[in-house]
Amino acid sequence: MFRMLLFFLVAIGVIPFPVSADHSPKIEIVGSTTVLPIASRAAERFEKLQKIEKFKSSHRLRILVNAGGSGVGIHSVAKGRSDIGMASREISPSERKRFEGSHLKVHTVAVDAVACVISSEIYEAGIRDLTRQEIRDIYLGKIRNWKEVGGPDRKIVVVDKERHRGTRHVFMNYIFGNPTAKTPGTILVTGSNNEEQTKIAQSDSAIGMLSYAWINDEVRAIGIRDNKSIVNLTRETIRKGNYPIVRNLSFITAGEPNGEVKAFLEYLKSPEGQQLVEESGYIPFT
Amino acid sequence: MWVFAGLNLIFLCCAGGLFLFLIFESYPIFKLHGFDFWLGQDWWVGEAYGALPMLYGSTLVTALACLLVLPLALAVAIFISEFLTPTSRRCVKAILELLAGVPGIVYGLLGVSFLSLWIKDVFGLLDGNTLATASCLLAIMILPTVLTLSEDAMRSVPAEYRDNALGLGLSKWQTATAVVLPQALPGIMGAVLLGIGRAMGETIAVMLVVGSLDRIPDPWFNIFSSAQTIPSKLGREAAEAIGEGTHWSALMALGLTLFIMVLLINFIGNRFLKRRSIS
Repeated sequence: MFRMLLFFLVAIGVIPFPVSADHSPKIEIVGSTTVLPIASRAAERFEKLQKIEKFKSSHRLRILVNAGGSGVGIHSVAKGRSDIGMASREISPSERKRFEGSHLKVHTVAVDAVACVISSEIYEAGIRDLTRQEIRDIYLGKIRNWKEVGGPDRKIVVVDKERHRGTRHVFMNYIFGNPTAKTPGTILVTGSNNEEQTKIAQSDSAIGMLSYAWINDEVRAIGIRDNKSIVNLTRETIRKGNYPIVRNLSFITAGEPNGEVKAFLEYLKSPEGQQLVEESGYIPFT
Repeated sequence: MWVFAGLNLIFLCCAGGLFLFLIFESYPIFKLHGFDFWLGQDWWVGEAYGALPMLYGSTLVTALACLLVLPLALAVAIFISEFLTPTSRRCVKAILELLAGVPGIVYGLLGVSFLSLWIKDVFGLLDGNTLATASCLLAIMILPTVLTLSEDAMRSVPAEYRDNALGLGLSKWQTATAVVLPQALPGIMGAVLLGIGRAMGETIAVMLVVGSLDRIPDPWFNIFSSAQTIPSKLGREAAEAIGEGTHWSALMALGLTLFIMVLLINFIGNRFLKRRSIS
């Protein structure tokens, strides 16, 4: 109860009184956990660069990066609660309409793929690819056992994401042709990429969706099979545009950026910034 | 004296204001869906807002946690209060009170990394993120609070009662169960109510292990399936909806529902106590 009270006090108190205790410039970035690694790397370097350039000034630029998901990123930048929003999907038509007055502007910095991922135990048992129809049936609850798609006799733990998450929008848009598709086969709902990665790794029979940069030995990406041809997920297939589930990773501002925000976005698009994109595990946007 | 009265007033205003704020904010959703909001089973942002799965999840998780905690808490409280020497009693109490202050996120992370996997292995489940996991975690969380407050209640039963009972030839065990326990009942009830309050409002620990699936388990008593609770739902969606719109209003209505549920439980608890003390 106390926690609820605190939450509401914060919710009521923060909106009308944006805190500005000190006058050093500050950039607040909120949104997609997929874009977050790029943002936090860039923030760290950019702060240092600023420090070197203006080492005599006592006003040091601070950049705060917070997670929340693409929906939260778009919402908070449109409402002026943050300077930059991060999104791993397009702004949806309904969001465009709702935030028409904020003149949202998208600055794309990287390309990412959304992988269909499975637990390593299933991968090792021989599942290396699935068709779009099979994935659809799994999420609809029509296929409930790995046996039905040529795997071991084990029930499928279908992992879904919160509905506003960018990764889910992109994935469901490909699988169902509808970014907010209903998935009655779901067993678990997760939030951030980290949370989903953990849950899939802990399970020995899970399927889910993850950004390219979150794939590791315990959470394996599978290929998408279409008739006889299989497209595996590699840097090459993303770059060439063969892999079907790709998306742009973007920063969003309300209106044209200026001042520190503009400088930060330009830094991200510079060769040095694009190097950071590569370091974070994504494909530079050219 | 007036200062204290003023402070009290501020607190009352806070509680009342919060209640009014919740009603005000959730009004649009009730205007739109009426009381079907509490009966609907589907929650699709932008289409339908049905709170029944969350209501059910919150109720079941809290009830189960209580069921798990009560026997254990009472047994241990009797032992600490009636059978331990004063020195060791102080030690145990200090540790318990320390545990009662551990924040939810710590339990949540322990739950994700250990408890959910244990539950999965022990019961041979498909997945460890279930209602049962959340209940166990909550039980562990509220145990120190319930235990230490119940023990306080037992301890505060006057020593003459015990001396008289012992003098009449009752054994120590009989004294504890037949004299101390009934006398301490109001205090124990209060302890349990506080525990329920914490369990119902716990957000992050539950959110991490309950599975967050907005669906009533099938069959309904299947505690080994994923579900959703009200705070966990709020935790997952509040940041996206904050400020305005139907979605926000629906979330505020969930908050209001939780508020009313906790009020009701406290009210019923108090009534129960009053009736007992009269008879």
